[in-house]
Amino acid sequence: MTKQLHLRRTQITGFVMEYLVFVTILVLVIVTAIVQPNFSTAQNFTNLMRQFGPLSFVALGMTFIIIGGFIDLSVPGIISLVAIITLSLVDTIGEVGAMLVGLALGAVMGCLNGVILVVSGASTQAKALFITFGMSQLYGAAALLYTSGTSMNRTFINHPMPVTSALGQGMVGFLSLSFVVFLCFLFVLYIFQSRTALGRSINYTGGNIVAAELSGIPTKRIMVLIYAICGFMAAVSAIVLFSRVTVTTPTVGANFERDAIMAVVVGGTSLLGGKGSVLRTMMGVSLVVLMSNCMNLLGVQTHLQEVLRGLILVTAIWLDHRRHR
Amino acid sequence: MKKFLATVLTAIMVVGLFAGCQADAPAETGDRVFRAGFITQAMSNESQAFSWREFQRLAPEFGFEMQVFAGENEPMVEVAGIEQCIALGFDAIFVNPSSIESVIPALMQAKEAGLIVGMFSSELPPEFHHLRDFFVGSDDFLGGVQAGEFVSEHFPDGANFVEVGGQAGHDAQIKRRDGFRAGIADNIIELDSQNSPTGWNTHEAMAIMEDFIVMYGDQIDIVWCHWDNGASGVIQALQNAGMHDVFVIGVDGNRTGYAQVREGVQALSVGQSFTNMAKQSLENARTMLLGGTVPAENIIPLDMVTLETIDTFVEPDW
Repeated sequence: MTKQLHLRRTQITGFVMEYLVFVTILVLVIVTAIVQPNFSTAQNFTNLMRQFGPLSFVALGMTFIIIGGFIDLSVPGIISLVAIITLSLVDTIGEVGAMLVGLALGAVMGCLNGVILVVSGASTQAKALFITFGMSQLYGAAALLYTSGTSMNRTFINHPMPVTSALGQGMVGFLSLSFVVFLCFLFVLYIFQSRTALGRSINYTGGNIVAAELSGIPTKRIMVLIYAICGFMAAVSAIVLFSRVTVTTPTVGANFERDAIMAVVVGGTSLLGGKGSVLRTMMGVSLVVLMSNCMNLLGVQTHLQEVLRGLILVTAIWLDHRRHR
Repeated sequence: MKKFLATVLTAIMVVGLFAGCQADAPAETGDRVFRAGFITQAMSNESQAFSWREFQRLAPEFGFEMQVFAGENEPMVEVAGIEQCIALGFDAIFVNPSSIESVIPALMQAKEAGLIVGMFSSELPPEFHHLRDFFVGSDDFLGGVQAGEFVSEHFPDGANFVEVGGQAGHDAQIKRRDGFRAGIADNIIELDSQNSPTGWNTHEAMAIMEDFIVMYGDQIDIVWCHWDNGASGVIQALQNAGMHDVFVIGVDGNRTGYAQVREGVQALSVGQSFTNMAKQSLENARTMLLGGTVPAENIIPLDMVTLETIDTFVEPDW
């Protein structure tokens, strides 16, 4: 009897720990909907989808980095530089051309990060952390030099920008266009991760890089690939970001890496590498965005919001440690 | 491999130096050339990058050769910048730190070394005023008061406002918040107030405004936003919600603020003139270095940029 009770308790604890994000989201939604009736309005639903935008794309890219056993702090620099360069090119080469250049630039910057890591022999998260932090400084400084520190507003651009307007404000049925784009990326990346040999190789590399190398997986190419994916997704995020807010500054990407890492880890992807999925990241992003929305609607002070954010991240890391010990 | 890593890191530092620590061309005035350092919180802050540009432009006119030391929001880097100016034998420093308290010991050293110390845009607490020769800047509290008075004049029968504040805990955010409340009449009612949690980010301002719209909808008459780029996000959120008659006020008087005022989507931008601040700082330092005296407090008037007054001001380029 006692054994059965113990088994059941262990099962319940295991279930709660596995699905804690989902449970937290559910509690958050129910409590906020009861306390603040405006939470359940169509307008708030649209807002939530739009607020989902920029962070969700970075977090998808960051998922591959963390599954691969690394970290990428260069995201703020990439977002800032891509946003500034893309907007500044619109008048010269048109909106679509500028966006394509921005996306390519993001992928190249990500690729460069990966190559530098490979060449420098970095095989741990700690080394990746310092190198990508340095690269973020480099890209950020380039954005500042390029603009002399000034901001860019969409109203300063003479060329029409229908794609940007649609991405920022457009709706497809009851879904925002940026959310539909996110779902497309989510689908493609999910298939890539779970149904292709290359995708699975990322998990093996993150699980044990030495073993992966011994079994013939091209770990160095995998490293370059995951950083290229992250750079590309950061560029998508930059485009979605300026489409949404209409203004960009040379520091517009600040703090995105923090929220992206939080979303990935809170979603349940292991910081130790090897385990995780983009679907889990979607849950993590949902929690981060919902938390901010709910706390604003509940009138929670900004300082307290920051405390709660920190607590959630620490709890997620602690749970990750417990799951994998 | 290690050599390669070292080379990459060195390259990054060199680029960082170019971005954060640049000296302008020597002044060609014929008189004695003075050397001054601009110790600023961060060149990633647009207003500071613009200030440095104005210092460079104006320095030769006042017989100065200048160098910038950007702290990138790290108090220890700002302290190191001041110490470096002392070691290099500079004549004057203009300081705008991210944390006033942390630079106080370094300012003591600067005074002991005989440098002219000018506080730029950020003022020391009253008990430490003896550590600076003068302060040049606008008054964030006064900016808030003026914005509050402007609102009260425009809404004599009362109205409701929400506040989208700047970076939580930032000196300017606190003063603008307090000043606005001191300036508004009793019939201007606060519905809610939130600050940008991590910085002066436009997307955070937009998300806050979207949530305010969900909560208060048509009850909102006025949005008091602490910065013009944040007001862009506020305006976008209002337009998405079809609320075109809300009275939006921002601070900074930058290009974006001017464009929004011209477009008629922002009622007022409380502008800070960094050009005049740089000019006054250089003029004061030169006067003191030549043996003259200057006022300890130099408040640069704020520009009230509205559709009616916008053409009376010089268009900013930051």
